[in-house]
Amino acid sequence: MKKEKKNKQGHVSIKMQKKLVQVFILVFLSFVGLSWRLYAINRDSGGDYRKQVMSQQQVASRVLPFRRGDIVDRKGSKLAYSEKVYNLVVDAKLMHSEEGIHLEPTFRAMEQCFPSINMPKIREYVMENPGSRYKIFAKKLTLDEITPFRGIMDGTVSFNQAEDEGSVTGVWFEEDYQRRYPYGSLAGDVLGFVQGGNTGFFGLEEYYNDTLNGVNGRQYGYMNEDSVMEEKVRPAEDGNTIVSTIDTNIQSIVEKHIRIFAETHENEYREGPAADNIGVIVMNPNNGEIYAMAGYPVFDLNHPTDMSGIDLKWYMPKTPSANVLPAEPEEPGGDPEVGVEPHEATDPENTGVSQNEPPKEEDNPEMLARNKIWRNFCISDSFEPGSVMKPFTLAGALDSGKITGNETYMCNGYLPVGGFNIHCHNRLGDGLLTVEQGLAKSCNVLHMDVAFAMGKDEWLRYNRIFNFGLKTNIDLAGEANASDLTFHEDMGQTDLAVASFGQGFNVTMIQMAAGFSALINGGYYYQPRVVSRILNSEGAVIEEKDPRIYKQVISEATSAKLRQYLRAVVMSDRSECTGWSARPAGYTEGGKTGTAEKYPRKDRNYLISFMGFVPAEDPQVLCYTVIDRPNTAVQSESTRLATVLNKDIMTEVLPYLNVFPTEPITESELADLEEKELSFSEGATLISSNSVLIVDENGEPVYAGEGEEGLLEEGAEDTKNAGDGEDGTIVVPVEQPLQRDSAGNVISENVIRYDPSTGFPLDPATGEVLDPRTLLPIDTSRLPKRSTEGEGEAAD
Amino acid sequence: MIAGRRRELDRPAFRQRESVKKKKAGAYMDYSLLFAVIFLLLFGLIMVYSASSYEASLKFSDSTYYLKSQLRATAIGIVVMLLVARIDYHFWKKTAIIAYIGSCFLILLVITPLGITRNGARRWLNLGLSLQPAEVAKLGLIIFFATLICLGGKTITGTIRGNFFSLLLAGIPTGLILVITKNMSSAIIVFGIAFFMLFISSPKYSYYLIAVGIAVGLGALVVYVVSNGSLLEGIVPSSMLFRLDRVRAWLHPEAYASSKGYQTLQSLYSIGAGGIFGKGLGQSTQKLGFVPEAQNDMIFSIICEELGIFGAVAVILMFLILLWRFMIVANNAPDEFGSLLVVGVFAHIAIQVVLNIAVVTNTMPNTGITLPFISFGGTSVLFLLMEIGIALNVSRSIRV
Repeated sequence: MKKEKKNKQGHVSIKMQKKLVQVFILVFLSFVGLSWRLYAINRDSGGDYRKQVMSQQQVASRVLPFRRGDIVDRKGSKLAYSEKVYNLVVDAKLMHSEEGIHLEPTFRAMEQCFPSINMPKIREYVMENPGSRYKIFAKKLTLDEITPFRGIMDGTVSFNQAEDEGSVTGVWFEEDYQRRYPYGSLAGDVLGFVQGGNTGFFGLEEYYNDTLNGVNGRQYGYMNEDSVMEEKVRPAEDGNTIVSTIDTNIQSIVEKHIRIFAETHENEYREGPAADNIGVIVMNPNNGEIYAMAGYPVFDLNHPTDMSGIDLKWYMPKTPSANVLPAEPEEPGGDPEVGVEPHEATDPENTGVSQNEPPKEEDNPEMLARNKIWRNFCISDSFEPGSVMKPFTLAGALDSGKITGNETYMCNGYLPVGGFNIHCHNRLGDGLLTVEQGLAKSCNVLHMDVAFAMGKDEWLRYNRIFNFGLKTNIDLAGEANASDLTFHEDMGQTDLAVASFGQGFNVTMIQMAAGFSALINGGYYYQPRVVSRILNSEGAVIEEKDPRIYKQVISEATSAKLRQYLRAVVMSDRSECTGWSARPAGYTEGGKTGTAEKYPRKDRNYLISFMGFVPAEDPQVLCYTVIDRPNTAVQSESTRLATVLNKDIMTEVLPYLNVFPTEPITESELADLEEKELSFSEGATLISSNSVLIVDENGEPVYAGEGEEGLLEEGAEDTKNAGDGEDGTIVVPVEQPLQRDSAGNVISENVIRYDPSTGFPLDPATGEVLDPRTLLPIDTSRLPKRSTEGEGEAAD
Repeated sequence: MIAGRRRELDRPAFRQRESVKKKKAGAYMDYSLLFAVIFLLLFGLIMVYSASSYEASLKFSDSTYYLKSQLRATAIGIVVMLLVARIDYHFWKKTAIIAYIGSCFLILLVITPLGITRNGARRWLNLGLSLQPAEVAKLGLIIFFATLICLGGKTITGTIRGNFFSLLLAGIPTGLILVITKNMSSAIIVFGIAFFMLFISSPKYSYYLIAVGIAVGLGALVVYVVSNGSLLEGIVPSSMLFRLDRVRAWLHPEAYASSKGYQTLQSLYSIGAGGIFGKGLGQSTQKLGFVPEAQNDMIFSIICEELGIFGAVAVILMFLILLWRFMIVANNAPDEFGSLLVVGVFAHIAIQVVLNIAVVTNTMPNTGITLPFISFGGTSVLFLLMEIGIALNVSRSIRV
């Protein structure tokens, strides 16, 4: 049969052909059936499935972080920058894919590449949450740390676990940025720091937070109108870079000298740091640019919360104790009544600083101590300026024409004001003085007279003109608002008297420095500033911050006269001036010392300061040093500490800024310079208290560090003005006849001899050693312990 | 017994071939078939790229990774196809034994160190190029069975014993594939091809209908039992029960959405999301990591999502044209051997297309079957094109 068919058809049997056709029809029908099935699926569940598909598209909208801008100094050195770091993200679902063959290799690779990682925890998490797609297990890994693991994932690095049981997967790295401060603690008060990713705290980081921050990018998917998934990437916009006026070299010079000072004087008289606060501002008086701004203690900006190197207890809020050793019992006597509002610079409640501190617990003493260290003393703390205020009083009087500058004043050592005798720091009186001499000797009486000549209204007007009570608007976060801490129209005669020499009202360092710049630069008040320009992330300048003159506060002529007077403060014969010890060898300098008595007055706590500028004739650099409550026995006599700190800083900064010496340098100065160069370069750790030396005319080294011993050099007969301390105000109630009488006696004779061992004046009648301040006999053997107790006894 | 018959049958066959040779000068070739194949290949390349680019760029940072690999296999395949189309198909008769034994041997090689494990399954051989022996076995069995049926004649096809013996021969490579590579779908196809060829050539129509009836009945019983839960517990070992999960997942894919039913369900979502005309070429969202094996077993669901029912039916029609041409060629082949070769190819492609689409539409339980010419897979394309080459050569031998 088969053969027949073959012959007929030629080759294939009909039956086969038929069957094949049947099968083909069967296949055709199944195709039709399957097509019907496709249609049925769409008809029955199309809508549901479409929704299901859309809901599945949780295309992880991923944040692409921006890079916070850098902070660079005026020369372009990076003070702060953001470095790319990586977070390790575990995708447990991916690890579990393909029946878990990736699990073990991935765990092993992680264990090998990240030894510090908590593997059991990851293992537990991955096993318990197989559906998890995103869980961060390690943060802030550097590129170097993750490179080996990436290599294993790519397969470029062989992973010596022999069996080929599956590849490493389910781990990826999310980009992030970490703020770095390459110089550690340098310029910490100016820079501030960053916490919680990109939020700046304090300083530039806070003030320019929005400028430095960019805009996060995003990678996201969305459905367009055709229900089609589109994926979009909006790249991150990196933040802007700010160019600071800070100079890293000047800043480090300043910080080095502060550190030397702090280490030298720590635990010197009482237990504790060298001073409650130390602040230094170095700036250009001709345009308001800040070169350096520093405080103490410093902290590492990379780890701002780590204060292991600092004994916080000294910075916790406390009522400042009298300047006595803790062993001495303190007499609880009542506060002397003074017509001055009690303002304490150290009281954090009154300073109106930084609203944005990270910690919330305001009453936690440790937190408050940390805040005190974080914040910038130079702008955030206010204090009574003391005699540095005197040039402002003179400037106001001269500019308003109330004095001509050619007057002479008689100083008897005190001036009775409103029922009190307000004393000069030199209770013996300075005699007849010109205005210039009065400033050079820092005579309180003269300045009170000048202020009275101006009158309350005029003095207040000039006080406002000099911007006291207003913020300077320096571009740093946390500038204190001291407007409530200045005098207003209701000030009395006593207020005016003490205000003339800088007591009774509060200022900040930056207010003083900015105002003082205007006094000496021709009268132009510049806004002090820390940023000169802003660059975008590509480095193009997007904003140039030019010097900004707010106003002309005094005339050019007044300014010139003041330069002349201020020059006399430093450049006069050392018996005639208070600031001679601030002069850097080879330069002319002008300036003003300050020794402000702190409240409560009876505690004998002082804030010493020096404002100096070089050259005296054409100021290029201004340096303001403030030491709050130095750790010395007699703080009022320690003003030398501030002048010497100022001098040390100037000595190094001036050559760096290409300010050339104009004066001959004596041999002793040269020797001194060489010695200092050595000690400066050796750094603070090698500095002993002996090495910060002042050499007097005879080439004899004198201890500058200790206030009282510093008086030794004043042994010469013709020196009336002992030491640099000058203007502690003592407002003594008239009810104490003894004090008034003894003072009157001494001054009238005006022939004073000095004790060779202490430098203190001797009572002309009895030959007893007198306290230069109270003019009461004191027991020299107890000298370092001066207590109110002793005074009390003597008074009776 | 077979050998004895063989000598008798050989002569007319040879004579026949000589006569064909003389008349073949016009060199007819079934161009419709060729065009259908080329269309499917090109379409396949486009779809492989569309379906795989996302995964490729994630895994290999190169969106064309799969496309390149497929393109290479296709290029080699077309060259091989054209070469094979020039080889007289009677040549394959001589290779039948080698094809059969070679197929089994290659499958056995998988358990040697030459075997490659991918995605947790050991199915490939590393012979310079990676090779899937199951794909080779399909071609091998087509050649072997065409020869066997041709030479065995009635002894094979006409008796129950012969039929059983043939099916036993088909069962050996099928069993090897099932046991060694644990590849159920390939086993089904290999056995299906043999079964189909026997069915076409055997006059015992009713036997095969009964056999199919019994198979369908058994299948239905299994489904019934499985769907009615606990009937099997205690009777069947628990490892077997686990396998039956596949059937449960088929019946209720939503209930197994995160395990066995996941792939099926995602495939259904794709089909549903595509609608009549689809989202447009390249616009699938399901391929973005949701449909596993999007460029492979599940490529048809991506076609449905991007091109809709319209596109899917167009593809089905193209396969229908292809099968129709096979049928024409088989029915007009100059001899039984040529006809059977084409029937084998017909069976291979028909089974795979129907089963693939049935799996994608959840018409049958999920088993990994690729869509011929379209799914990603080098060995598959290469050997399919060899089969097409043979079919083309058979078509050339037809006297017009």
